[in-house]
Amino acid sequence: MTVLEVRNLQKSFGSIKAVQDISFSVHAGEVFTIIGPNGAGKTTTLEMIEGLVSPDNGVIHFGELDWNKHAVSIKKKIGVQPQSSAMFDLLTPEENLNLFASFYDHARPAEEILEIVNLTDHRKNHVKKLSGGQRQRLAIGLALISDPEIIFLDEPTTGLDPQARRNIWDIILHLKELGKTTILTTHYMEEAEKLSDRVCIVDQGNIITLDTPSALIEKLTNEREIRLSFLDGEKAAEDADGFSKELPSVSKTEREGAALKIWASKPEETLLDLFKFTKEKSYGVEQVSIREMSLEDVFIAFTGKEWRD
Amino acid sequence: MCLLHLPGRNGGINIKFNQFKMMFLAQLKLTLREKQAWFWGIFFPVILMVIFMVIFSGNSDEEFKTEVAVVDPSPNPASEMMLSQISELPVFEVKSGKPVTRDKAEEWVKNQKVDAAIILPESAEASSVILVVNKENEQGAAAQAVSGILNKFVQQANLLAAGAAPKYNLQYESITSGTNELDYTDFLLTGMIALSIAQGGMFGMVDMVEMRRKGLIKRLRMTPANMGIFGLSDMVMRLLFSIVQIILLSLIGVLVFGANLYINPLTLIIVFLIGALSFNSLGYFFSSFSKTTEAYMGVANICSFLMMFLSGVFFPIETMPEWIQPISAVLPLTYFADGLRESMVYETGLATASLWAGIAVMVIWGAVTFLLGSVLYKRKAIAADR
Ligand SMILES: Nc1ncnc2c1ncn2[C@@H]1O[C@H](COP(=O)(O)OP(=O)(O)O)[C@@H](O)[C@H]1O
Ligand SMILES: [Mg+2]
Repeated sequence: MTVLEVRNLQKSFGSIKAVQDISFSVHAGEVFTIIGPNGAGKTTTLEMIEGLVSPDNGVIHFGELDWNKHAVSIKKKIGVQPQSSAMFDLLTPEENLNLFASFYDHARPAEEILEIVNLTDHRKNHVKKLSGGQRQRLAIGLALISDPEIIFLDEPTTGLDPQARRNIWDIILHLKELGKTTILTTHYMEEAEKLSDRVCIVDQGNIITLDTPSALIEKLTNEREIRLSFLDGEKAAEDADGFSKELPSVSKTEREGAALKIWASKPEETLLDLFKFTKEKSYGVEQVSIREMSLEDVFIAFTGKEWRD
Repeated sequence: MCLLHLPGRNGGINIKFNQFKMMFLAQLKLTLREKQAWFWGIFFPVILMVIFMVIFSGNSDEEFKTEVAVVDPSPNPASEMMLSQISELPVFEVKSGKPVTRDKAEEWVKNQKVDAAIILPESAEASSVILVVNKENEQGAAAQAVSGILNKFVQQANLLAAGAAPKYNLQYESITSGTNELDYTDFLLTGMIALSIAQGGMFGMVDMVEMRRKGLIKRLRMTPANMGIFGLSDMVMRLLFSIVQIILLSLIGVLVFGANLYINPLTLIIVFLIGALSFNSLGYFFSSFSKTTEAYMGVANICSFLMMFLSGVFFPIETMPEWIQPISAVLPLTYFADGLRESMVYETGLATASLWAGIAVMVIWGAVTFLLGSVLYKRKAIAADR
């Protein structure tokens, strides 16, 4: 079931085309991730959907509802954690939640939300004193107070340390268990791969590609990168380099000292041949690995650009 | 955005009341926890008032006390009578308590040991009194005061000598002609109250800039929260804060400095509400075009400084240079301070034309700045407002 559909969204700020042409639909209960580098247009896209920015062009439907006629109903259906995660710094998490609860006719009790976002111990501290991760969890909590069907999280983990980031992942996975629909933006590929049912990669205001993480990776060539390093030093690596270049499934090699990288379309066969060769020559191999392809490679393959976190 | 648009979009009366209650409680907590609000809203006006009161009022007799030397070259009935009267005048302190020689007196004047030397007439017929002051501070306040007082004194003496009833006396004329006497303490107290409420409005709206900068206003708009109720709760909070200011400053003025208040409650309530609202409008207007708190504070500081000195807060407008007075005549603080004086010191009733003229000026300022602010906010209006 489709809970949100956007078609041909466009938005410019002066001469900057923040969003050029974005269309997608989101299904009930999924985690839908919009990923892209800084300035790709993620926040602008979300803010148009959340009713904060009016699009220059395009349509936004929440099922039967749209912003022109049903603003209040939509606001009751959605929960938003904006990128700025704004809240009252001189109030406590509990007070912030209770205040936001008063805006809705049906809100969940603050204690329940504090439990979900794991802030029960800090409920009486001023928000000013919270850590970045705790603050971000409260921002998510505020988005959950109205028990919304659709939750928007704009870069909830940016700038957090790995532990704090994992805490937020747990919350998102928990929301999925509860049957909520989550629309997430991030610029961490790892996060998108781990959490999302479907991923939409955007760059410069356009969708580059949209699918499940595994389908996206499969769409890439099946070429894999094999890494080897030799105990017997440069000479062995040089020999192995010469040997692998002759193999039919190898497209390219790179050598640096005793370390060798080989790109092969049939990595298992290539490895087998390589090991036969090293055994013959009795070269000792120190490390072997096949690098998994990631969304990062998808991005590089589609844009030809380097991916930078 | 429109701060005051009326509730009526969603939810029943109950949820609206609950929203108001929660928003008001939040505002109350935010104000109580904000140290800046305490400093600028309470501590600063109190300190400022105490400083001004201590320097400029309190015992005005002592303030104008000036030391003089008296020379009585050849004692005669007229000079004796004058001498006894001069030593009784509270403003003059006669150095060494008795007449000295002319040389001695002139030496004291030269060394600035005394502000002036008074040389009494040599005979009952020669009615000239000579005043000797130091050339260097001929224009100084003390010299002017002595000569002014002495002048009147001599006139009185002359009249006495002529056997007529004294027409002049040495009392100061009061500053305005109200029914109740306005002394400087009352004047300053009411001025300070007006100033603190005005500043509360002009500076207080920095919260709006801060909330916008942090994205809080945007955040609230993502919820079905009624922004009209939010504006209302904010306003009620500000008015309460101003009432605390009035009460606190009045208590200090009356209990510590002996101010005399004769309050007409109805006039006070109206002047207070109109004044507070119009200065809040002014702040709202500043906030509509200030992108940062620094920019806002810059504008608010300039306006508050200009008004502070041009609106008769510390000194009556009549004491300022003529060319400045037309500026004072258009500033809202002038009328707010006046209105508070009318309602807190003169007990003026509502049926007073000049009072309503002042209220009209404040209403115009409030309405114009509020409308301008609303227009500027609306220009940045967003889809969620539809
Ligand atoms: N209010 C605005 N005014 C002008 N430019 C903006 C505004 N909001 C975003 N932009 C520009 O639009 C582009 C997309 O921004 P944004 O949607 O925030 O990207 P992301 O969230 O993917 O980092 C950027 O170049 C940004 O500078
Ligand atoms: Mg963003």
